[in-house]
Amino acid sequence: MIAVEGLRKQFGRHVALQAVDFEVPRGEIFGFLGPNGAGKTTTIRILATLTPPDGGTATIGGVRVDRDSYRVRKLIGYMPDFFGVYDRLSTLEYLEFYADCHDVPSRRRRAVARELLELVDLTERKDDPVDTLSRGMKQRLCLARALVHDPQVLLLDEPASGLDPRARIEMRELIRELRRMEKTILISSHIVPEVEELCTWIGVIDRGRMVEVGPKADVLRRTSSARRLRLELANADADTLATAQKRVSERKGVIAVDVVENSLEISVEEQFVNHRLLRDLVQAGFEVDAFTPQTGNLSDVFMRLTLPREVDREVGGVPGAAGGGGTESGGAEA
Amino acid sequence: MPSRFRRLVKNPLIVKDGLSRVRTWRAPAVVALYLAVLGLVVYLTLTVQLSSLRPSWGFAQVGRNVFVTIAEVQLSLVCLFAPAVAAGAISGERERQTLDVLLVSSMTPWAIVWGKLVTSVAFLLLLLTAALPVFATVFFLAGIDFQQFVVSQLVTVAAAFGVGSVSLFSSVVFRRTLVSTVVAYGFTFAATAGTWLVGTVLTQIAYMRSQVLTNLTGPPPPPDPHPLLLMSPFNGMTSVLQNANGGRVSVGQTVHVLLLAPGKAAAAGPAFEPWQATVLFQLVLVALSVFGAIQLLRSRRVSARLRSG
Repeated sequence: MIAVEGLRKQFGRHVALQAVDFEVPRGEIFGFLGPNGAGKTTTIRILATLTPPDGGTATIGGVRVDRDSYRVRKLIGYMPDFFGVYDRLSTLEYLEFYADCHDVPSRRRRAVARELLELVDLTERKDDPVDTLSRGMKQRLCLARALVHDPQVLLLDEPASGLDPRARIEMRELIRELRRMEKTILISSHIVPEVEELCTWIGVIDRGRMVEVGPKADVLRRTSSARRLRLELANADADTLATAQKRVSERKGVIAVDVVENSLEISVEEQFVNHRLLRDLVQAGFEVDAFTPQTGNLSDVFMRLTLPREVDREVGGVPGAAGGGGTESGGAEA
Repeated sequence: MPSRFRRLVKNPLIVKDGLSRVRTWRAPAVVALYLAVLGLVVYLTLTVQLSSLRPSWGFAQVGRNVFVTIAEVQLSLVCLFAPAVAAGAISGERERQTLDVLLVSSMTPWAIVWGKLVTSVAFLLLLLTAALPVFATVFFLAGIDFQQFVVSQLVTVAAAFGVGSVSLFSSVVFRRTLVSTVVAYGFTFAATAGTWLVGTVLTQIAYMRSQVLTNLTGPPPPPDPHPLLLMSPFNGMTSVLQNANGGRVSVGQTVHVLLLAPGKAAAAGPAFEPWQATVLFQLVLVALSVFGAIQLLRSRRVSARLRSG
């Protein structure tokens, strides 16, 4: 549904994007991860037809964003990373205004606005001025605004930033509901747990380059250097854990064994056979409470893939040469 | 109907901005202030005129003098208010961070600029309409015919569109409303009072030069106005109400004055009234400003350049 190939963008001497490639299949939630200044917002602004690319192609629903922006705008709903509200309109008028801007027929505007207010749970506030809403409510209203013309694709730039935990959970549920409505959703974020929980596809961008992209499970598998297992023993004292640690670490295929609280974290090679280790431990008299493979952790992956600026400098990179240090999105926060 | 033409009349920005404007105390306050100033001007002018009434004048002359005064004051007020209402039209959207969302909608840059211009000028037209009863009081005294009244209002409306559209262009160019407003006021002063003052001086220079270089006998003919003077709506207004510059001017005469050529110019080319030149100049300003604003919004270069800064 979204295809980006060799996308490049430069603001003066600041290179924001250099050959960014990724695809988002229809109906998926794509988590676009990256540190501040990595190029997330610039990419989203190009997809939203707000910033022309310097090179490469970006298509939405097969339509090039730089060639037929009018058609692309019919396909997308864009929610920027800030609140843009008109304070002298009620929430209902606010949505009706944007419905009009998106050419929704006048006879349907009121109904569409009411449906969307219901979707984002703001029906009771329909007559309230927009500026009296809380930040979370405004964020939900902005999401409703992005939906007024029933777009197939949603581009959400940091939709949960600045929200309290409750508002964040409500926003997450809302996005899940939108996926059930078969929307393709691209969410940019630097809140890794949020993306890990919500998204089905992951793309990690750093210094204007995509460093990893694909289905979430594939990304986690590819980027984990080893598989990990967690072993919990009944009545485990320090001696028992130390004995078990020694026994496990001597096995072929085991890379490392760490004691974490009252359990063992075991890193093993890809071909390691789990059940043989379990059988040997039981036969050796260890009372195993739990023996579970650990899925990869997106936070670890994110930290590994996105190097800090200092490391970049040490390895001879040019600081700020590609998205670093500058204002992301061509300085979206000018 | 194609979207572009439909948006001429069915423009959501006109409805939204109109609603937003009338929902504040500011709109009625400005209308009240405007009418109070005009009313006060009428009262003071009428008092002064009646107290110094000459036997040869009659009430028609008093009515004429009062009308001229309030028409010029109204023009000044419109030129004063136009930058205030239009110079924040686009920069305000940018400051409110709603411009991007508008640009991503089905609204074309043309529709956005048109909607903003109409909303800004509509408020000025509201002021003019509200002032009609004030003007009507002068008609009791006679001295001004209906055609003069209509043309004077036309010059004022043209000035409102001209100054409003330049202010709108300024709000596209400059990111901050404050900067945009200051620039718009600077331009407004230059294009209205500035053209009048400088145009008058240049007209006199050209006139004196032509007198010196030619040995005319008999009474000197009235000076041909300098093109700069023709641009000023104040000159247009004065010419309508007082025929101060001697009526019609030809293109040949205008070029003659522009080139500071000696002697009296021949009345070559089409002739026009000074107020017609003023209205034409304002229309050119509107066309250039709207076109420029649309191009800037379309290219989005302003946004990108200012953002990266």
